[in-house]
Amino acid sequence: MKRLLFLIRRSMPAKLTLWIALLSSLVLLASLGFMFSQSKKSVRQEALNRAEQVLDNTVQRVTNVLDRVEVATDNMDWLPVRHLKTPDSMFVYSRRILENNPELNGCSISFEPYYFPGKGKYFSAYSLNQDGEILTEQEGGPHYEYFTFDWYQMAKLLDEPCWTEPYFDFNPDGFYSQEMIASYCKPLKDAQGRYIGTISVDLPLGWLSETIAAVKPYPNSYSIMIGRGGTFFVHPDSTKLFYQTIFTETLEREDPDRTALGKAMQAGEEGMKQMVIDGQNCYVFYKPLGTTNWSMGLVCPERDILSGYKRLQQAVLIIVVLGLLLMLDLISRVIRNELEPLSELNRQAKTIAAGHFQEELVDEGRIDEIGQLNRSFAGMQHSLINYIDELKQTTAQKASIEHELKVASDIQMAMVPRKFPAFPERNDIDLFAAMVPAKEVGGDLYDYFILDEQLYFCIGDVSGKGIPASLLMAVTRNLFRIIAQQGHTPESIAMQINSVLSRDNEQGMFVTMFIGQIDLKDGVLRYCNCGHNPPVIVRKDGKAEFIPVKYTNRPLGVWEEGGFQGETLGCIRGELLLCYTDGLNEAENMKQELLGNDTVIRLMTECARMSAEEVIRKLELEVERHRAGAIPNDDLTLLCLRLRKA
Amino acid sequence: MNRRSIGVLVLSLLFVFCGKAEAQKFVFTPQWTAQAQFAGYYVALEKGFYREAGIEVEIVHPTLTQSALNHIRSGESQATTLQLCEAMVIIDSGVPLVNILQTSMNNAMVIVSRKDESPIRQKGIRVGTWSAGFDQMAVCLSSIEGLDYKWIPIRSGINLFLSGAIDATLTMSYNELYQLMEAGVSITENNIYRLADSYNVQEDGVYMTRDYYERHQDQAERFAQASRRGWEWAAEHPEETLDIVMDYVQKNHIATNRVLQKLMLEEILRQQVDRDSGQREFRLRPDMVEMANDMMLRNQLILRKITYDELIDRQTR
Repeated sequence: MKRLLFLIRRSMPAKLTLWIALLSSLVLLASLGFMFSQSKKSVRQEALNRAEQVLDNTVQRVTNVLDRVEVATDNMDWLPVRHLKTPDSMFVYSRRILENNPELNGCSISFEPYYFPGKGKYFSAYSLNQDGEILTEQEGGPHYEYFTFDWYQMAKLLDEPCWTEPYFDFNPDGFYSQEMIASYCKPLKDAQGRYIGTISVDLPLGWLSETIAAVKPYPNSYSIMIGRGGTFFVHPDSTKLFYQTIFTETLEREDPDRTALGKAMQAGEEGMKQMVIDGQNCYVFYKPLGTTNWSMGLVCPERDILSGYKRLQQAVLIIVVLGLLLMLDLISRVIRNELEPLSELNRQAKTIAAGHFQEELVDEGRIDEIGQLNRSFAGMQHSLINYIDELKQTTAQKASIEHELKVASDIQMAMVPRKFPAFPERNDIDLFAAMVPAKEVGGDLYDYFILDEQLYFCIGDVSGKGIPASLLMAVTRNLFRIIAQQGHTPESIAMQINSVLSRDNEQGMFVTMFIGQIDLKDGVLRYCNCGHNPPVIVRKDGKAEFIPVKYTNRPLGVWEEGGFQGETLGCIRGELLLCYTDGLNEAENMKQELLGNDTVIRLMTECARMSAEEVIRKLELEVERHRAGAIPNDDLTLLCLRLRKA
Repeated sequence: MNRRSIGVLVLSLLFVFCGKAEAQKFVFTPQWTAQAQFAGYYVALEKGFYREAGIEVEIVHPTLTQSALNHIRSGESQATTLQLCEAMVIIDSGVPLVNILQTSMNNAMVIVSRKDESPIRQKGIRVGTWSAGFDQMAVCLSSIEGLDYKWIPIRSGINLFLSGAIDATLTMSYNELYQLMEAGVSITENNIYRLADSYNVQEDGVYMTRDYYERHQDQAERFAQASRRGWEWAAEHPEETLDIVMDYVQKNHIATNRVLQKLMLEEILRQQVDRDSGQREFRLRPDMVEMANDMMLRNQLILRKITYDELIDRQTR
């Protein structure tokens, strides 16, 4: 995976291809999602309409038959009432009803117990259509007390025509229908409007069961029919037929959806409910069957309704995925082809980068961005060649200059005494000095020598840096040695050097300088400070301080007029004297913070017992530590001395 | 012919045939079609309790058009189940019967109204009852409470109630009450009245003619003990009992289902527990016999008092 990511990251065609594919997929998926959502709604609605239509048609077919039965009965029920004086005519009428209505298989014209005095308790004229043969008998008796049966009592008690629940008839003493029937019953009334009996016609329900059960608009859909008590009279699961109601399962565990459906169907409502049946999300359409108080339901699993849609969805998804893959491949090829010149350019760039500047770039004549890039690169290559040539020359010149600077540096360094111990023949002088230029050559100087038991020394700092400063430094150092060797006082030496430097000083350069003279016999220090940092003296008690400077003379070379004043400090034998340039106290770190005079004093306090060389080394280290990697901002020159007892 | 005269005829025939059944099978006829109401007897037969008791029992059910009494009249039954009041009416009609086992300890009759109002607050309403009987307590209630119910005898089922042809109906808490619930009828405490709350007279027991009993007392005792054992086993093993019940239900093509039979079995077993003792006692309670006598005498359903001793044959036991 990491390898794959790496390959993708380093390949622009791969990245571009993936981005395009990703964005295309997002747009496509969003479009498809919207389309699927809308299609699903449409397909579902269409399917629901279809199922509803199927249900309506079936209910209409059933209702038509039921209506015919009702009309047939209504057309005949006046006959028995008109002929109550001839009870036996009831057998003729019951038979005639069956003859006129072959879809019926039974008809009984039954009367209240003892209604006809000559007929006893039971009188029910019953005809049965048995395979086309119409049988007629008086069916009432002790074992078949018809007046206790629902088909008789319902019409009587409701006092209106009604349909019974589907049932299986059984008469142990007579003939009866062998199949499930439902009876349409009407109360019979005499001329005074008194109830006298019930006329009932039996409709075999085999055709109804088959008609309803055959309704199957979808492969797994099925139809049900329930009676007013919720009993299943049509259901694909034969174990539920007659034995269970739509509410049976709710007796053990609550099922509000099923209960609501059952109640709605019982109430003769028409509609559709969405519910889970046997773990499947289903739509149940229901509608009452005429005036029977029965209700037909059509159960359609959602997966059936949406199966066509699902197939379409799968096909579209497959096409989309394949299309995306194809698009990915094509885009990849196109991008790779289009960006091929970039690869070539890259190869050539690498060749050029390897130093083969004369590598020839191929111009395919393209005018697009890649062509422009190619031409720009060619121009860059040309410029690069020129630049390299110039660079070679410059480098050569720089090398020459650097060499010269190195020589100059060596010369400059050779101009200051660098041999230590400074006076090996004497053990009363401990002197050490160091000079570190900020560039190849610096503008600092120091010098010392002994003349007639007088130790002359100086430390100076030429304004500016680099070669101009180094040249002035050389001049100044020579002037000091020449003039000082004539045995002048520090202020006289300063004045003479100033006199020389001030003349023709068009550059306006100057030198700060501290000139000292120590009488080695009594250790007295005389000095002249010409605008230089006051040296630090560490007293015998270890206390460090800047030496007092009453007369801060001007730097040398500023102007000629005016004198210089010298000062005397007294005997400094046994004390440590540090002369330095501002490369010490003004050394800067990265944050441009200065080392500072206080730090110099503190460091010198710590150096009280050290030799001159140890002091110099320690200060160099402290400066380096303070800079912490920052480039030196100024030349650093240190001169430390201590007079010991001879 | 009224119901009582039919009872006399049927039990007379039972009496006659019982005399001949001595060397024959012991045929037991419950008073209704196969259902969990008779689970204990099915268990006793299927688990071999009767055989262990040395009795070759056969259970023969009545059908919708042929009552238990009719079966007995055909000469095949030596014992049947009857409700206490029914048995007392038959004895009063001149057919001596002996209770050899009492299973019910409570009255299970419930009157259900279509309106959301207690049926005993509605006077003169049409109330469905069983054309086969079992309604003595409700008839007494109607009279005692001055309800003046109009009784509509129903062959079977609850369709008249559902259609609205009647205003209320008698149900058994273990049977028709659940059928109504299964038909989507809302049963609340508002639209029912349980007779057990005020007139708790126990119901099912096993009866045989006094004549047969006196000649086969030992057999009767063994049948009763094995039947009791069957009920106790059923109470301890309701699921297995239900399996046995469903076998009987299916063999007899009864339009019912396991859910209903399970509820029925649970309710029947509850009705066998005496409210006072909390035990399944299997005995007639003299106080309930007294209450039944009192109510039926007042309503002239019987003309003489049927004593507790007479019912359990105290003289011969």
